[in-house]
Amino acid sequence: MDYTKQIQDIAGRLFSENKIDVFIGYRNTGFDENQVPVLINQYKDVDQLLFTDKSVFNLANYLKYEHTRNKRVGLVVKGCDSRALNLMLTEKQVKRENLYVVGIACKGVVDETGEMAQNCIECVMPDAVIFDEMLGTPSGRREYQENADVRELDGKTLTERQEYFEEVFESCIRCNACRHSCPLCYCAKCCIDQETATLFQGANTTSSAFHALMTWSLHLAGRCVDCRNCEKACPSHLPLHLLHKQNEKVIYGNFQEHLAGMIEEDRGAFYKYSLSDPDDFIM
Amino acid sequence: MNLTTYSTDPAGLQSFYEAIISAHDTYAPVEKFGKYDFIKVDALSSCNPDSPIPKTMSVKPLFFPKSARVMKYKATSEGTELSDTEGDPLAGKRVVLGVKHCDARGLQVLDAVYKWDYVDTDYEKRRENTILISTRCNEASTHCFCTSLDYDVEKLDAFDVAVINGLDGKIYLQARTEKGEFFLKENANGLTVANGSAQEEMKQQFEKFAGSFRLKMDYSEINEKMKGRFDSAVFEDIPANCVSCNTCAFVCPTCHCFKISDEKLKDEGVRYKSYDSCNNVYFTLMAGGHNPRPVKYRRWRQRAMHKFVYYKERFDMNLCVGCGKCTISCPVNISIFEVVNRVASSMQE
Repeated sequence: MDYTKQIQDIAGRLFSENKIDVFIGYRNTGFDENQVPVLINQYKDVDQLLFTDKSVFNLANYLKYEHTRNKRVGLVVKGCDSRALNLMLTEKQVKRENLYVVGIACKGVVDETGEMAQNCIECVMPDAVIFDEMLGTPSGRREYQENADVRELDGKTLTERQEYFEEVFESCIRCNACRHSCPLCYCAKCCIDQETATLFQGANTTSSAFHALMTWSLHLAGRCVDCRNCEKACPSHLPLHLLHKQNEKVIYGNFQEHLAGMIEEDRGAFYKYSLSDPDDFIM
Repeated sequence: MNLTTYSTDPAGLQSFYEAIISAHDTYAPVEKFGKYDFIKVDALSSCNPDSPIPKTMSVKPLFFPKSARVMKYKATSEGTELSDTEGDPLAGKRVVLGVKHCDARGLQVLDAVYKWDYVDTDYEKRRENTILISTRCNEASTHCFCTSLDYDVEKLDAFDVAVINGLDGKIYLQARTEKGEFFLKENANGLTVANGSAQEEMKQQFEKFAGSFRLKMDYSEINEKMKGRFDSAVFEDIPANCVSCNTCAFVCPTCHCFKISDEKLKDEGVRYKSYDSCNNVYFTLMAGGHNPRPVKYRRWRQRAMHKFVYYKERFDMNLCVGCGKCTISCPVNISIFEVVNRVASSMQE
């Protein structure tokens, strides 16, 4: 999977036709094989751009920062990234007319060991669901499969699960890299950071990490697209996907097999009411 | 004071470590979720004093934890009562194994600020009661540049005891402070005092180590050039892909900013001191709502300038030890080495 040439051509064309102000893509780190996101503002820099199976980061994340606000943006999206973009559009965070979306028919990206990443193996939609131009041959939607780690966790007793997560939250340093790397955590002021109303404890204790991360994962329930930006960003390497995949599983099972951002203008599991929604948990 | 060098072999080093672990409260790098944290250990088998550099977190949390209790308070209609929190878990006598050179230097840098002006007594106590034993750094990792900064890595004077590889599988243990000298003397069972060739062998090993660095720079040139770059346009360009999290500061062995917050229940509460970072948008938010650093590049500029200009001016040290932890942990791998070099080499306006 190498679309370097095509992406450079597209970005070059968009700049020379004056259709965009910023192009968001990937470039080499300069010191190893890995790639980092890059925001390009002018035609002469387009030869930095590349796209291979190491283009991991979800670029929709950059649509929430001041560098792209109210600008015409071109960006590259894989399947999962495009689902996040879809949700940002639905939730009125970006304007479609300001975007030029280069969709990728993704064949999966690699993790740090060089193997295909776990979320790509389980991916339900590798092709971009929203695009102005598509690169590669789409392979179509795949069957939803339950995450193996979540299944294993479900097999444990409540006490065992509690012990496991206590260890996880104890290792959290509350740097908020997970939140800042998530395209769907776009709130101008996160509830976790409120200092006037003390909703959340300011201290970096285990209990505050528990509180913050659980709230965060619930705010993303039915919205998480499993791009794993959060998990890759975590300096403590915490298994954050367990929280999101568990939510995804519950929502998939209970709300008409809902998966976030698959179709345009999809309102999401928690935003719409349906008569067939389960109510057996209500006393 | 004459500092002694002892000689041993890998098996001897193992039993030296084992003896320490059984006799003292010992902290060492323990693997947790694929990275190494400094945690209290009961057996050598559960830790790795020679943990790989890129995967090892800083030793800073043992002296400046991510969250520490400062005091307790009780506020009633009769008045306010303040009391000390009991039992600082990090205040007791302890030994830390497997500390990286950069990390130990980081503690010297922290000493400058925490023992200056107002002395942080908790920090001071933790430092006094700790014996630092070094790891063996044989090869620089991708992001290491400790030899490029204002610290003589060869001297290893930030440690109490330095563990250094010699030739032919020999290992030298060398006291670097008085505290270390006493400690080694007490725990020297099975170690022999080294002969004359030790110094020469260690020098050779160090040269090999120093030659393995990919990143090299001249810190004094950077210090000098960055002084006039406050308004450099490069700053506006560099952090475009920064996601504004606090990771770089929290994993940094030298970043020392903290915030104070209360955990309160009715009239009683506990006051906490926790990590904070200049990359956080709320870091400079003032009462009344003004924020002098509302945009990313200004926060980045503060970070870079504090590390290589302001701290240098005040304490004659760089607030960077070249460990590369920020680059490794950064979600988008922004390299402080690259940033300061780009700023320093930018055209003066």
